[in-house]
Amino acid sequence: MAQLSETYACVPATERGRGILIAGDARSDSIAYCNGRSVIIRRLDAPLEATIYGEHAYQVTVARFSPNGEWVASADVSGTVRIWGRHGDRALKNEFRVLSGRVDDLQWSPDGLRIVACGDGKGKSFVRAFMWDSGTNVGEFDGHSRRVLSCAFKPTRPFRIVTCGEDFLVNFYEGPPFKFKLSQREHSNFVNCARFSPDGSKFITVSSDKKGILYDGKTGEKIGELSTQDGHKGSIYAVSWSPDSKQVLTVSADKTAKVWDIIEDGCGKLRRTLASPGSGGVDDMLVSCLWQNDHLVTVSLGGTMTIFSASDPNKSPVSFSGHMKSITSLVCLLQSGQNVILSSSYDGIITRWIQGIGYAGKLVRKDSTQIKCFAAAEEEIITSGFDNKVWRVPVNGDQCGDSQPVDVGSQPMGLTVAAQTPELAIVSTDSGVVLLQGPKVVSQIKLGYAVTTSAISPDGNEVIVGGQDGKLHIYSVNGDTLTEEAVLEKHRGTITAICYSPDASLFTSADANREAVVWDRISREVKLKNMLYHTARINCLAWSPDSHLIATGSLDTSVIVYEVDKPASSRITIKGAHLGGVYGLAFIDQNSLVSAGEDACVRVWKLLPQ
Amino acid sequence: MAFLRSYSNASSGMGVADDCKHIFLELQRKKTHRYVVFKIDEKRKEVIVEKIGGATESYDDFMASLPENDCRYAIYDFDFVTEENCQKSKIFFIAWSPSVSRIRAKMLYAASKDQFRRELDGVHYELQATDPSEMDLEILRERAH
Repeated sequence: MAQLSETYACVPATERGRGILIAGDARSDSIAYCNGRSVIIRRLDAPLEATIYGEHAYQVTVARFSPNGEWVASADVSGTVRIWGRHGDRALKNEFRVLSGRVDDLQWSPDGLRIVACGDGKGKSFVRAFMWDSGTNVGEFDGHSRRVLSCAFKPTRPFRIVTCGEDFLVNFYEGPPFKFKLSQREHSNFVNCARFSPDGSKFITVSSDKKGILYDGKTGEKIGELSTQDGHKGSIYAVSWSPDSKQVLTVSADKTAKVWDIIEDGCGKLRRTLASPGSGGVDDMLVSCLWQNDHLVTVSLGGTMTIFSASDPNKSPVSFSGHMKSITSLVCLLQSGQNVILSSSYDGIITRWIQGIGYAGKLVRKDSTQIKCFAAAEEEIITSGFDNKVWRVPVNGDQCGDSQPVDVGSQPMGLTVAAQTPELAIVSTDSGVVLLQGPKVVSQIKLGYAVTTSAISPDGNEVIVGGQDGKLHIYSVNGDTLTEEAVLEKHRGTITAICYSPDASLFTSADANREAVVWDRISREVKLKNMLYHTARINCLAWSPDSHLIATGSLDTSVIVYEVDKPASSRITIKGAHLGGVYGLAFIDQNSLVSAGEDACVRVWKLLPQ
Repeated sequence: MAFLRSYSNASSGMGVADDCKHIFLELQRKKTHRYVVFKIDEKRKEVIVEKIGGATESYDDFMASLPENDCRYAIYDFDFVTEENCQKSKIFFIAWSPSVSRIRAKMLYAASKDQFRRELDGVHYELQATDPSEMDLEILRERAH
């Protein structure tokens, strides 16, 4: 039996030039955001517990908790809104096709009966408000001619809806049934966000023209603006009110977040500026914010979430991050006595995680090129990207040292390091393999067949190369040449992964035809066969430290753990480990398995003995 | 007017040996066997009994007695407890036709299956397996109720 013990969730997917939305539930102190096709709900006080909802068929854009905290409404780029239960098995309550294009913002009415959704209607309606259980329309929303970026529902009666969009307009509707009341054209650029204060007396709109304007909540008339002295120097992407309706938090592309005091007559004065800790590059542009209880949460373009304390301005902020794109490989390292997990995604981000703590920093590389293959040994990581170079970088904590790349002649398809002699590494390219010793190329060997993956034994004496035809070629290493010892034919598909056991007595190979086989290294006989329980290609393999358990991860989103001494049918299956497929697997210790996949999350599983 | 012959013309003319039927009846009525494996003997042109498993043998023993590269027919007596807590026993007919076996064997066994199946009256569930994961014990448990 396997039990999920920790989830290192992904961060919200961000896009340059646009703000994103994160929602919160003050009662349970949780936040909800979206990445890809999943909605992630996390608790601010227990960041290692994250629940993920992956039922949308398209990319999710916004998710919001209902006022009573029981339901979540989430919307995606196809214009569909799904309302589902937050607890239990997340049963779907309703699904409506609301707009004909992407939904950009969604708000519940304070009584939880109505929902307003806005977005890109492709010429037809840009905004729709409907009853949450029947989907019937509760108003006509005309007045916008371009995409509507944000909408807000007045939290107190009489109900009003305000919408704002790319046509620089802020529209005010009265109802229900909602009808157009008036339109304001105070802004000179896209109006990015509109929010009512929790007491319903005012609302604020912020825009890419760097201004924030305040209006009366009941009539929609302008009452004031945020002072331009010390104002933002870049587009303001999001705004959030404090629970007492006296302050607002704004975040901007100028990489700062500002807290403003709102005085009764409607003007805003700057209270303080929060600078996010960061290197100051484009990735630090802030794209989203949320004020919940005492926490000020800001999200940057690079995916870093920073939490400031509202009451204590001098407390240093807590920041954590994760992956935004799908994780392509995962390695477990022992670094200064601690078990560190490194995960890398194709955009070149390598993140460190520590079991029990969670996020432990990103590896700051001197050269952040994209990463396709990734391997690690003591104190060193070896990466290769989409060009012909292989980098061997020394790692100290989360800082990387300098290194020179090695040119291997053609694009590397796979990369492995000999575990006991980390000097030796083998790189497989599409026509052959390259042996590396330290930072130098020892030899480049052209093999006559299409190579897909390779592995080098822990002692560096033997190399196995897998081909596209499903054959495994075993070579022994003599200095800089490879001598073919044997060819094993059992697989019925392209070989996708080969892995030696830590004690070097066994090795496993897996293919694209869902089968994995464990072989005895000395006799080259099959040790465990019929490992056929996956339903799609096997992507990765991992051995447990005592060489008794072998785990396979596949495109079919499940991870299966087999025991070498028992028949393959007695296996532990983890279904649905990662939406989209499992791409990385590693054992931390005998009972803990780490997996990473397309949903950009890393999960730690505890294996309980049966 | 009733048609006496079924419309399936796909039969390969294989006979069925007498002891196949007897051993099946023993399994069904007296419950002396756990499983029976049948093989097509091409020389004598009939289906014969290849192996009989005792009542104490397990499902793993049964799976081990099926060859990896050749097709077989098999009968397995599956004992289980239902949700209402009654002990039940159902007979499964398994057409074992692994994808690694020769085409000729697969065609022969597929064509002779209907004729042979008609002899075994009293089978509750039929299953076709092309690799060991398709005749996993979990699948039997899900089918039987």
